[in-house]
Amino acid sequence: MATTVAPPPRAGKTESYVDNKRKDDIRMSNIKAARAVADAVRTSLGPKGMDKMISTASGEVIITNDGATILNKLDVLQPAAKMLVELSKSQDVVAGDGTTTVVVIAGALLKQCQTLLRSGIHPTVISESIYKASVKAVEVLTAMAVPVELSDRESLIKSASTSLNSKVVSQYSSLLAPLAVDSVLSVVDPEKPDLVDLRDVKIVKKLGGTVDDTELVKGLVFDKKVSHAAGGPTRVENAKIAVIQFQISPPKTDIEQSIVVSDYTQMDRILKEERSYILNMIKKIKSTGCNVLLIQKSILRDAVTDLSLHYLAKAKILVVKDVERDDIEFITKTLNCLPIANIEHFRAEKLGFADMVEEMSVGDGKIVKITGIKDMGRTTTVLVRGSNQLVLDEAERSLHDALCVVRCLVNKRFLIAGGGAPEIELSRQLGAWSKVLHGMEGFCVKSFAEALEVVPYTLAENAGLNPIVIVTELRNRHAQGEINAGINVRKGQITNILEENVVQPLLVSTSAITLATECVRMILKIDDIVTVR
Amino acid sequence: MAVEKLFKDEATEEKGERARMASFVGAMAIADLVKTTLGPKGMDKILQSTGRGHSVTVTNDGATILKSLHIDNPAAKVLIDISKVQDDEVGDGTTSVVVLAGELLREAEKLVGSKIHPMTIISGFRMAADRARKALLDRVMDNKDDAEKFRSDLMRIAMTTLSSKILSQDKEHFAKLAVDAVMRLKGSTNLEAIQIIKKAGGSLKDSFLDEGFILDKKIGLGQPKRIENANILVANTAMDTDKVKIYGARVRVDSMAKVAQIEGAEKEKMREKVQKIIGHGINCFVNRQLIYNFPEELFADAGILAIEHADFEGIERLALVTGGEIASTFDNPESVKLGHCKLIEEIMIGEDKLIHFSGVEMGQACTIVLRGASFHVLDEAERSLHDALCVLSQTVNDSRVLLGGGWPEMVMAKAVDELARKTPGKKSHAIEAFSRALIAIPTTIADNAGLDSAELVAQLRAEHHKEDSNAGIDVITGTVGDMSELGISEAFKVKQAVLLSATEAAEMILRVDEIITCAPRRREDRM
Repeated sequence: MATTVAPPPRAGKTESYVDNKRKDDIRMSNIKAARAVADAVRTSLGPKGMDKMISTASGEVIITNDGATILNKLDVLQPAAKMLVELSKSQDVVAGDGTTTVVVIAGALLKQCQTLLRSGIHPTVISESIYKASVKAVEVLTAMAVPVELSDRESLIKSASTSLNSKVVSQYSSLLAPLAVDSVLSVVDPEKPDLVDLRDVKIVKKLGGTVDDTELVKGLVFDKKVSHAAGGPTRVENAKIAVIQFQISPPKTDIEQSIVVSDYTQMDRILKEERSYILNMIKKIKSTGCNVLLIQKSILRDAVTDLSLHYLAKAKILVVKDVERDDIEFITKTLNCLPIANIEHFRAEKLGFADMVEEMSVGDGKIVKITGIKDMGRTTTVLVRGSNQLVLDEAERSLHDALCVVRCLVNKRFLIAGGGAPEIELSRQLGAWSKVLHGMEGFCVKSFAEALEVVPYTLAENAGLNPIVIVTELRNRHAQGEINAGINVRKGQITNILEENVVQPLLVSTSAITLATECVRMILKIDDIVTVR
Repeated sequence: MAVEKLFKDEATEEKGERARMASFVGAMAIADLVKTTLGPKGMDKILQSTGRGHSVTVTNDGATILKSLHIDNPAAKVLIDISKVQDDEVGDGTTSVVVLAGELLREAEKLVGSKIHPMTIISGFRMAADRARKALLDRVMDNKDDAEKFRSDLMRIAMTTLSSKILSQDKEHFAKLAVDAVMRLKGSTNLEAIQIIKKAGGSLKDSFLDEGFILDKKIGLGQPKRIENANILVANTAMDTDKVKIYGARVRVDSMAKVAQIEGAEKEKMREKVQKIIGHGINCFVNRQLIYNFPEELFADAGILAIEHADFEGIERLALVTGGEIASTFDNPESVKLGHCKLIEEIMIGEDKLIHFSGVEMGQACTIVLRGASFHVLDEAERSLHDALCVLSQTVNDSRVLLGGGWPEMVMAKAVDELARKTPGKKSHAIEAFSRALIAIPTTIADNAGLDSAELVAQLRAEHHKEDSNAGIDVITGTVGDMSELGISEAFKVKQAVLLSATEAAEMILRVDEIITCAPRRREDRM
């Protein structure tokens, strides 16, 4: 990245600002590097933003529009540039969406800071002023926001589709948006209505079909085959499901052991014993009425052997093997059952019940679906389909963003207009506020206000509109009191963006502003890069 | 006539003037490096690691910067050491001490240049430091008896310490956190009872103090998520199997059934172990090592909350705060000390689930949960908070308080100046120089804030010429202000440590007249 920028022209020393050249250079080169990062993702902002193709070191190709993903794959070395990458990650953690916006805002702020520094304002003064401005900005945004109820499914869908519209999968937003809303709402615990754990929404990707075939499954989906040895069942109704963490295979001790075989008859006997050992286990399993087994993967020894699979098939038990240990919690939560770690503990009360467990052919692979679960836990599974791996991955990322958007709304139930409207409004109100401030502060706040215009400007630019015309028009409309006027990218003009159903959660906007400010302040305060061990 | 060769190859020797120069230059370079981080408007540094991952740290903490530097100059190393000692002893003032030592050396260099013997300088410095300390003692305030006032003193100190750090925007919030945490300790300086947990997400303002202990772990499957009046057994034991540790031990059997028997026996052993553990009458079991599925299920069946893989520090602290002991054998339930707490429950912070122990035995214990945008912010916030906590816990013991904002330096400088005037002989030059070095600290603070330092310091000096002035630099407005009104305070202990250790370090470096670099130890040629 732009680590080798030429030193910028040195601004004249002012009376009050005593600093030496090296420190200035470091600050400037940090700013330049960070801005270069921001410029790299700028074109992917907005519904008509472009995608980036990233080919990783391992030769893998990723096509994405998601700021966090792009930045994550960039191998930046310059420390300040790294901070911008971190910034995008934080936005991803906090809000899940707006990862490009936050970087673009930070870039614009840095550009303004550069001008301010050149005119000899002390970095800490700038830093404090923009902090004040950001606090004010959050106030303004909060005042603009419209409250939303979780029962208002329409509004939730609108905001999810706004997020999806800027992605590769935008043409499917009408399908994915309700899906995201439903899946989040179904995992909200009525006892703790403000908390959503997105880990309760599992996304299973399966190649084949199109994104259209993506569906929400009320139940569980495994991207695995049912084991087919010896013609076991692939479809079980009224399933009694056991999640087991032990192995149905010949015993193995932790202590090293060897079986001494001294003659041929003994060998025969050992084989027989092995068989009866396994058969015994299966009998125990069968006696509880269990007819579906989910077997945890084992690293110590084979979880199942051909022999045990054979017997299980004979006993008409459907087997799904190699379930990861990490997934066990999700599965047991969904099935409302307990994992069983020892054959001795295999009791009927630890089983889970479902109407239907079946194997289905999907594309070229197979999946196992468990539906109609009795007393199902608060989890959902989304089965994402796509015609190729690239689309599939991007669909997953987009869906994640949409899920996060809905989650934001659950956390903080306010909506705000999209399409650059809040940014212009902020810019206008902060601009007005800056006039009542004194001295340097006012000057810095004004620059902050100007920096925010970058969002509508870039939106317009990416949509192929004339940014200057659009932004001035927007300013004009906002001055006349139309606080929700924004860029309608589809129509290529300015409309009341709330009526166009372009909405986003308040949390996304506020966290973008506060995080970007925090990051810029940090960069400003740095005056030296020290190489250490 | 000359001795041919005194040292080994590659060993170098620098003598007299050159040696002294080398140490002056090195020490001053270090002081200049951290100088810009001093004061509320000090700047930060990026520490870029050359190691793997090129990890980046952004910090304002003098000790952290110095600790991670590559340094070859011996005198510079002395300064780094005093910064470290300052960090260990009082926790704050790590930058000030280095800056002061650097300034003392800068002055000493001039004196040496004008042919004053280093020993004279040293004795002058000693007298000056002594006088300066007395001056501080005269002006010190002690509000120990008045709980209300003492608390407000602590708040002020915490805010002053934090104002130069990343937490400055929310300093009131964090000062309150820190003071609350330290007050809970009731005079002990055992900061281990204060746990700091960092969780990305949210903003710094969302950080909070929690009365109790938080463990960043998950509760096992199917186990109760909430326990009241918990009896906790903290253990460090293998919960997979008790392996025979003798190398090469193996069992020979001649049939499958016997293998199964052994396996069964192993399971049985585990079950016994679990039964023994349960036999302690506990309802919460915390183990440092993994708990495998099998025992986990046994615990779940017994309705016991089992937490696996708690890190070492985690269990030690847990044992400390719940009043238990870490056990690794379970044969004598009566000899094992169990920990107790009122309530264990699962809580969510940000996106993560954590286990919260409240109402613990050791009432002092508490946890500060830091939230912040990124790891840079969190790490720096932790360092800053640590500084504040150290200073506060020191102040609780030694409740003497001074004003801040360059005030103590001016008071000392004035006293030292007076001493210089009274002292006959060459020493007075050194004493004068000492006072100049002290004034360098407010000068640096003003410089860093982008203020006109010459003007401000002159004004300050005039103010301090009056008796009992409270004047110091008000960095926010850029003027000379009354420090007691602005509520800027510092702990006496910190200032005293800065003064004394900086003087000592300067003295040590001044005494040097020869640097011998030993020949590097030769590596054995393995080629």
